[in-house]
Amino acid sequence: MNAQSELKHDPITLEIIQSSLTAITDEMFATMRKTAMSSIIYEVLDFGVALFDRDGNLASSGSGIPAFVGMLEPGVKMIIGKFGPNDIHAGDVFMTNMPHFGGVSHLNDVVLIVPVVVDGNVIAWLANKAHWADVGGSFPGSISADALDIYQEGLQIPEVRIIDKGNINQALLDVILQNSRVPETTRGDFWAGVSSTRAGESRVKALSEKYGADTLVYAMADYIALGEAQARTALKELPHGIFEANEMQDDGQVLKIAITISDDDFLIDLRGNPKQNNNALNSSYDATYSDAQMIFAGVAMAQGIVNAGTFRPLTLLTDKGSLFDAEYPAAMSVYYEVSMVVFDLMWKALAPAMPERLPAGHYGSICGTFIGGPHPENGSVQSIVEPQLGGWGACSDRDGVSALYTGFHGDTFNCPAEITEQRNGLMVDKLALTTEQGGEGEFIGGKGLNLDYRVIEDNWWMSMAYSRSEIGPWGLDGGQEGTLNYVIVRKANGEETRYSSVTALELNKGDVISVYTATGGGYGDPADRPKDQVLEDIRNGYVTAKRAQKVYGVSA
Amino acid sequence: MAKIRLATDVGGTFTDLVFYELDSKTGAAGPIQTEKAHTTPPDFDTGVLDVIEKAQIDLSSASFFAHGTTVVINALTERKGVKTGLITTAGFRDVLEIARGNRPDFFNLRYQKPTPFVPRYLRREVKGRLTYKGEVIEPLDTSELPQIIADFKADGVEAIAVCLLHSYANPDHEDQVIAEIAKLWPEVATIASNAITREWREYERSNTAVLSAYVSPIARAYLSKLESAVSDKGMDGAFYVMQSNGGIDTLGAAKNVPITMVESGPASGVLGAAALGKLIGENNIIALDIGGTTAKCSLIENGRVDVTSQYMIEKSRLSAGYPIMTPVVDLVEIGNGGGSIAWVDEHEKMHVGPQSAGALPGPVAYGAGGTEPTTTDANLYLARINPDYFVNGEIEADMPALAGSLERLGAKLGLTAVEAARGIVRIANHNMQNALKLVSINRGHDPRDFTMIAFGGGGAMHATALAQELSIPKVVIPASSAVFSAWGMLMSDLRRDYIRTQPMPIASGSAASISATFAEMEAEALASFADEDIPTDAIMFEHYLDMRYDGQEHSVRMPLNNGKISSTDIDDLVARFHDAYEREYTYRLDAGTNMVALSIVAFAKIDRPQLAKIAEDGDASKAIKSRRNVDYDLAGIHMSDIYDRELLGSGAEFSGPAIIEEAGTTTVIFPNQRVRVDEFGNLHITTKTSGDKA
Repeated sequence: MNAQSELKHDPITLEIIQSSLTAITDEMFATMRKTAMSSIIYEVLDFGVALFDRDGNLASSGSGIPAFVGMLEPGVKMIIGKFGPNDIHAGDVFMTNMPHFGGVSHLNDVVLIVPVVVDGNVIAWLANKAHWADVGGSFPGSISADALDIYQEGLQIPEVRIIDKGNINQALLDVILQNSRVPETTRGDFWAGVSSTRAGESRVKALSEKYGADTLVYAMADYIALGEAQARTALKELPHGIFEANEMQDDGQVLKIAITISDDDFLIDLRGNPKQNNNALNSSYDATYSDAQMIFAGVAMAQGIVNAGTFRPLTLLTDKGSLFDAEYPAAMSVYYEVSMVVFDLMWKALAPAMPERLPAGHYGSICGTFIGGPHPENGSVQSIVEPQLGGWGACSDRDGVSALYTGFHGDTFNCPAEITEQRNGLMVDKLALTTEQGGEGEFIGGKGLNLDYRVIEDNWWMSMAYSRSEIGPWGLDGGQEGTLNYVIVRKANGEETRYSSVTALELNKGDVISVYTATGGGYGDPADRPKDQVLEDIRNGYVTAKRAQKVYGVSA
Repeated sequence: MAKIRLATDVGGTFTDLVFYELDSKTGAAGPIQTEKAHTTPPDFDTGVLDVIEKAQIDLSSASFFAHGTTVVINALTERKGVKTGLITTAGFRDVLEIARGNRPDFFNLRYQKPTPFVPRYLRREVKGRLTYKGEVIEPLDTSELPQIIADFKADGVEAIAVCLLHSYANPDHEDQVIAEIAKLWPEVATIASNAITREWREYERSNTAVLSAYVSPIARAYLSKLESAVSDKGMDGAFYVMQSNGGIDTLGAAKNVPITMVESGPASGVLGAAALGKLIGENNIIALDIGGTTAKCSLIENGRVDVTSQYMIEKSRLSAGYPIMTPVVDLVEIGNGGGSIAWVDEHEKMHVGPQSAGALPGPVAYGAGGTEPTTTDANLYLARINPDYFVNGEIEADMPALAGSLERLGAKLGLTAVEAARGIVRIANHNMQNALKLVSINRGHDPRDFTMIAFGGGGAMHATALAQELSIPKVVIPASSAVFSAWGMLMSDLRRDYIRTQPMPIASGSAASISATFAEMEAEALASFADEDIPTDAIMFEHYLDMRYDGQEHSVRMPLNNGKISSTDIDDLVARFHDAYEREYTYRLDAGTNMVALSIVAFAKIDRPQLAKIAEDGDASKAIKSRRNVDYDLAGIHMSDIYDRELLGSGAEFSGPAIIEEAGTTTVIFPNQRVRVDEFGNLHITTKTSGDKA
């Protein structure tokens, strides 16, 4: 029809297609969430979905977690590089999980990648990345700070085709399932991922049918260009200059960073940092880059559109073989703590210059807590993967938020005690804000968490590795340091041990795992906190009378 | 004296009244009549009495009066509730503040969590512990209650919520705490979480109890005031209150748990669509309600209104919001209505809404100071709305101002005024389409199997275009579409929803346990009706099981034929579950199935007469009042017949392009669409082909 060709690239049609792209990834996200088998996917939302242009550039993403927004693009580009252009067909599903080569994060995060093929041509790509509860290896849950190399961390899936023109490669799927300690959950999560990408595929095809593949391809390119234009506008409004920070870590290493912001660049320089670790505390370049994306989006684009264009002004410099750019076969299962640390470092470098955009330091650790054992009801094997909530730093104009997920997480939900008790067969004795004191200031840091799990059956275990277990979240402008992240295990026999990291600790009936997460850093001199406010804090139990006297000089 | 049945619906701007008289001899229903008066915050009852007076209704002749009110949602959103205390299980007083820890606005490092409705010092704990099965592993200890109550009194608390861990499985401890408070402080308003919901998730249930306590005294006072006002006017007929679950309930029940009224406005529209569907023989319906600032849509399958207890207030992309676990008609709401403002961002993208011009200044064409064009303005500029009969002829449309505003908007994109107007309508339609997809396609329903019933001031304006886009074969515009929510209440039955979390595997051995729980829930429902002297022999039940695969969290709600399950029914149930699951999620698993919750819906039928029919007249041409050129955006500009809806008789049929005008709304008929008027005056619009792609 005439009207259509004339209107081919009219701004209204483009706007409609572009808003459809978001609707498509939203739908993929909802499908995954509804169908997944493991709580880390459907409650913690440790997954992401995304839509890419035909060259693998991110056009739109649906994610519960900001960290995952940029994490799918490298995998799609690896697949294009390996199979394109002649060996990609309608109905194919590819997968990968190797962090050093397009998998980005750790082996648990399995990426499924689907081309959208119209008339024999790839016009777009869809991907889904989700945390699988177990992919084998030496340690239950496939995560341990003690892994020496990637071989100990589980099954490595290089870029492979798991579904070939609609036909499942059953042999490959069988191998994958056989390597998991929870094969049925893994099977469910695999098909949930396929279902989510298929939902996206049919929507992209419908768009192409309606508006024409050319218009759709053009609309995606235009959308990515819009992302870049928005980012460049935002960049001009940021304070310009060189912003530096360094900080000693729990292990005594000192990390450093320099961020240079100009009209055209947001350059993060992480060169000169320590060599990669001989354990699982390493991050791939791609994972570190997604931290850079998060901080950039956080200060510049919090509510704008975010796609491949957004990150074009962003440059990341690292040393190959360093902690932030670890090389194969480095172990990486606890990459997320390294990511948290570097994200926090970027944040710390910028915060003094951007009080209206960044609060003081938050608890700064995923506080991933892995607990497992037989369900007392039926003996079924339980495997809990629970990141913990913690305190956020105070802002320049208000108190910090209590018990919130990290900046790495997002629309992530904790697990209700009532569900944990039924599903996993643990008792939750306490779910409370911490009463540990710290993070005072004119504006106070948000409170961390105190969560007590009680094991009620023998032969359970726990692994965990928390950062900021020795050095608390940083305050700003005279605000006090926050408190620490750690676990206290109280054995049934009365023995108490504090842990910041442990692998497969044996636990038996009556043992209590008491999780403490940090209160965030304060903002401003405590002397400037109004007396009425301090009295209110005392009344609410946020500060003890004794501490109030000491820090604020206020008596109840 | 002729008896009258009436319903009033308090909206943001207007309080609507719909009523009909019953012939004193035959009992037959007279024609539906409507009236509007201004809403009168904060004394909403004044507006209700005003509209009744305006319609010259003598309340002593009212045999049935249903009332929908926004008093609960207003008290919540405006934070006008009372000072509330919470009593919870030892170790869990911070659950209300911890919430679920999510950050929906996830790139924003200055995210602000919603503030709990009860500050920490008013959240107190009692010892005593249950398991998820409801077994007592530590007896309840109320010894600290006297101190807690004394503190609450001293702090000026006016309502107390009680939410204890696992009370969904065993309400005894909560009920004991409530009983103890009643002894210590009989005057204070109290509510136990189990009186509202028997579902698990302690944060959601705590927040539900807290919000319910927070609004209770206000809602109860409002209902009591209205009750005495109408009884002063001589009313002794049955008085009902619209609920969020798509039914009405007695005044007593509404006062008991006022939170159930929280979404009664939108619910009554959906209920109206279901009732109308029954009347005209449509079972599968997409209900679309377009008002001034929002559009709402909901799906009705097999005549059943979908109800959810995962309801949230103030939830957005920027905020986690607050959950309320009360049964609410499942609907999707977006910030797109007739008053939504069109704007172009700094990167030359046009958007419509969510900002609305509201009633003041209103659309540019009102000439009341609006400068940015709204969706209504665009419809006016495209001549879909009659420029010579704007707002029922009450306002002379300021067309020069409108043209100027569209030119300014278009200039930012290199578009002419008319192109800008078409763009506004297309984008507004696209936004609404996305909302419609969320309730249909995204939940595994094919829109081709549904009929759209559209209402509200803007429903008729957009429904026909939306139906074409989504391949919905038929649109029905109800006879009273502008006051359809109140109409819906007139058609309502009493409805009470009960849900109970009871996680267990589905196996042949579980049949007895399921039947027993259903029997218990039915008995609870029957007792509640009997308490109010509602005859229980006319009560109908619907039964549902929320089922899922082992290990999964999200469930599919499966309807059952009745609550008595035998072991042989289980196989059939599991087979149906696999099918339902696959339809929604595209695959099935060879995994065990279990159930999470049982729910029942109890209906108490209310007798009502057959509605009056309109006069038969197959000649539509008599209703043509004029002709004008109308712009149908991508479907072109066409000289169109303009029909006066009042003059269309039963059986009239005609084809588009056409416009049908009536007080309060305008229906747009595209060139390839056909209209038939049914015996009740509803418009049935069908599309001749599957839709014009361009």
